[in-house]
Amino acid sequence: MTEPATRLPSQEKLLLDYIHRLDQHKEGRKMVHLHLSALRPFNRREHHICAAAEDFEPFVAALDGQLFILKNADIFFIFKQEVQPSVETVVQQTRYLFSDDPLVLEEDDSDIQFSDWYDVETDYDKILHIVQDLISAASDQNRSFTNQMDTRSALKAKQEKGEPLTPEVLGRVESALTRTDLSNMVRRQYICSLSRRRVPETAFSELFISIADLRETLLPGINLMANRWLFQHLTETLDRRMLSMLSKTDTLTISGDISFNLNVGTLLSQEFQAFDDNITANRRGGMIIELQKVNIFANLGAYLFAREFIQAKGYRVCIDGLSYQSMAVIDRERLGADFVKLIWHSEMMDGGEEIHNHIRTMIRHAGEDRVVLCRVDNREAIDFGQSVGITMFQGRHIEHLIAEDNRRKELMRLKRRMERSSETP
Amino acid sequence: MADAANFTAIPNLHGTSEETLLVGHLRRIQEHSAGQYAIHVHLSELRPGNRQQNFIRIAARAFEALLANFDATLYVLSNHDLVLFCRDVPVDDVDQAIYKVRALFSEDPLTFGDEGSFEDRFTTWYDLTQKADFRAFMAEAIKMEAEASSRQRIDSEDKSPAASYAMAGTPLDPRNLAAINQRMMEINIADLLRQQTAVTVQADGKGETLFREHYVSMQDLQRRLAPNINLFGNSWLFQYLTETLDRRVLSVVAQFDFESMTDVISLNLNISTVLSREFQVFHRSVGMNARKVVIELQLIDVFADLGMYVFARDQLRDTGYQILIDGLNPVSFQFFNPSLLDADFVKLGWSKEFLGEVPKARVDEVRDQVNITGKNKMVLSRVDSEGAILWGLQAGIHRFQGHYADVIVEKMISKGIVK
Repeated sequence: MTEPATRLPSQEKLLLDYIHRLDQHKEGRKMVHLHLSALRPFNRREHHICAAAEDFEPFVAALDGQLFILKNADIFFIFKQEVQPSVETVVQQTRYLFSDDPLVLEEDDSDIQFSDWYDVETDYDKILHIVQDLISAASDQNRSFTNQMDTRSALKAKQEKGEPLTPEVLGRVESALTRTDLSNMVRRQYICSLSRRRVPETAFSELFISIADLRETLLPGINLMANRWLFQHLTETLDRRMLSMLSKTDTLTISGDISFNLNVGTLLSQEFQAFDDNITANRRGGMIIELQKVNIFANLGAYLFAREFIQAKGYRVCIDGLSYQSMAVIDRERLGADFVKLIWHSEMMDGGEEIHNHIRTMIRHAGEDRVVLCRVDNREAIDFGQSVGITMFQGRHIEHLIAEDNRRKELMRLKRRMERSSETP
Repeated sequence: MADAANFTAIPNLHGTSEETLLVGHLRRIQEHSAGQYAIHVHLSELRPGNRQQNFIRIAARAFEALLANFDATLYVLSNHDLVLFCRDVPVDDVDQAIYKVRALFSEDPLTFGDEGSFEDRFTTWYDLTQKADFRAFMAEAIKMEAEASSRQRIDSEDKSPAASYAMAGTPLDPRNLAAINQRMMEINIADLLRQQTAVTVQADGKGETLFREHYVSMQDLQRRLAPNINLFGNSWLFQYLTETLDRRVLSVVAQFDFESMTDVISLNLNISTVLSREFQVFHRSVGMNARKVVIELQLIDVFADLGMYVFARDQLRDTGYQILIDGLNPVSFQFFNPSLLDADFVKLGWSKEFLGEVPKARVDEVRDQVNITGKNKMVLSRVDSEGAILWGLQAGIHRFQGHYADVIVEKMISKGIVK
């Protein structure tokens, strides 16, 4: 386990300082931003980035420019406009270094370019924005470590996420929940395997109640997740609502195999029994019950009993919410779960060869067809997942691939129709 | 922070007991026993943790199809045993239902014996057409009826704190939680603080104090805080309360004179507490003596956010504290290997139910885990008997805590062999 950085990475901080100071000297300055973070992982090794940066050194030595290499591998170079032609040449050279990478190969069809050029004088606000965003993304990575209870962090969390949930508010929310129609807050996300050309194929889909929508509707300004245990209690109420929605087939349209989150306590409740009585036996085989890992550690005996109980009825079980660290301690087979969900975090990729091998071994041990990489927000996550043997994925980026695939299929259909109509005289 | 024990409510406290109905049933069929047989499912011998009301309810439902399709009757007894009466029901169909119940408890030692073997303690079958079987089962039923009624009497008479503690009515819910939490901040807590010594038993039979755990007795706390509310009925909300309790305990322990203290103490805390301002204040009072303090963290808390744990552990260690992982028992220990958590100590909570019920192969498994985790890190807590200590030694553990460990410590002190 790597030690988390508690402060901002210094290059990021230096860049921001520099940009702030630049406010007084904008004239005649240009900036180029190289999106090296969008390179494939195997092109983004340290020596690649160093090689790219080296080419800029002569400008720095001649005091014609300032270079910043961020933690995500992006390069920012701010320079005097006199040297622009030579800088352009250097950027061309760097581009050439990565000419086999999709970032360069597919640049024409992509939103992300290899490099973005700015005029500091006219684009200053835009530049400041970009840098601030990058820095807040970098500190987000460490947020889970720094959301401590110290006053500063608590204040910051309050400003960003709202007032922390208290027992009084929880009590009110839970009674309001029993009267609120939640069906329009149910979201669906697909768990897919991917072909070599990244065409998604659905394995199952997860139904969940959007906490963001719930908060918006019932409790604007309240941070539902501020206290883990109160939130966990709230999820038990949500479980019961989810079960009642799933029982009424007219409320939710369900096609294909589905998964949903429940607590172990819910599985042992009368509500679950009523739900189970209502569904036909063959539906059970198409349902995967997701259990948060904290349930297992809260009461192993109850987990084992509940798992046995629902699997005997035909449901399948997925352990949700694993990080690569906690996955090391969870023996899927021993715990008798059918699937586990591993949460994507760029830390896994940044951890170096040793961590990669460790993750690869864990995936193999858990079973390559048993692990879902979830919260996949970008292509990087898929590349990494595939490199360690993962075959199933879930997240925003998968939704994007599905939409893209649907568009492509739609186009094909149109094309065929056009061809047919042109064939007929 | 403390962990809640599992409490099982005893059903049907008033009125006619299921046992009485069972005896009545037997008497009725005595003269027309053709095709009748009974199966006694000994769920009362499950581990206490598995003898929960909702488990038994779910187990009983395994017989539903049988009851609907055949001439069969099920009794759910107050000791959690099940009794199934059948008339001309194909044994194969009964087997299927029993098998389902067995599977539910597949991790319980009660089901470890092979089905039908003489080691099988899970079920007893009675062919009621046979006089001997009938008499045996009648005797058993009458015995259980007597036990049920004496249990009922004790429960209704016993108003002792221990009983009310286990039975205490209203469960914790978000509405009463706020008030209890507020009260927790106001009541005096210092006099509820207890200590218990963890001791290392050395090869030469001598003992050495490992640390003295300082903890709040939950019974006492419940009595002072909310005698009518069962604080342990809801594990999430209980967990929330412990965060407040932590802060109160820290403020009391911060008054200790750490400089002149010769022993090592241990405290149970939430990770969120370790990262709080209250802990910073506490740390100022501990100063350079952090090595005299062991911080105990619960497994559930550790796994709720492992990243946070790693962060807290490293911070604690950098400032000199030692870290202990609490909340495992000999069974869960076989499911998770805590060595990856890189703590200084790992505590296993002993319970009678493990004695003799954990087969040899499983003791070996535990010993392997002990070796992987590191023998010198393991502490067996809640040891209440010599048997527990022997079990621990067998599994390779030499550090103990609990009532029986206290007895040993006292003996050692009187003999002058404790350091």
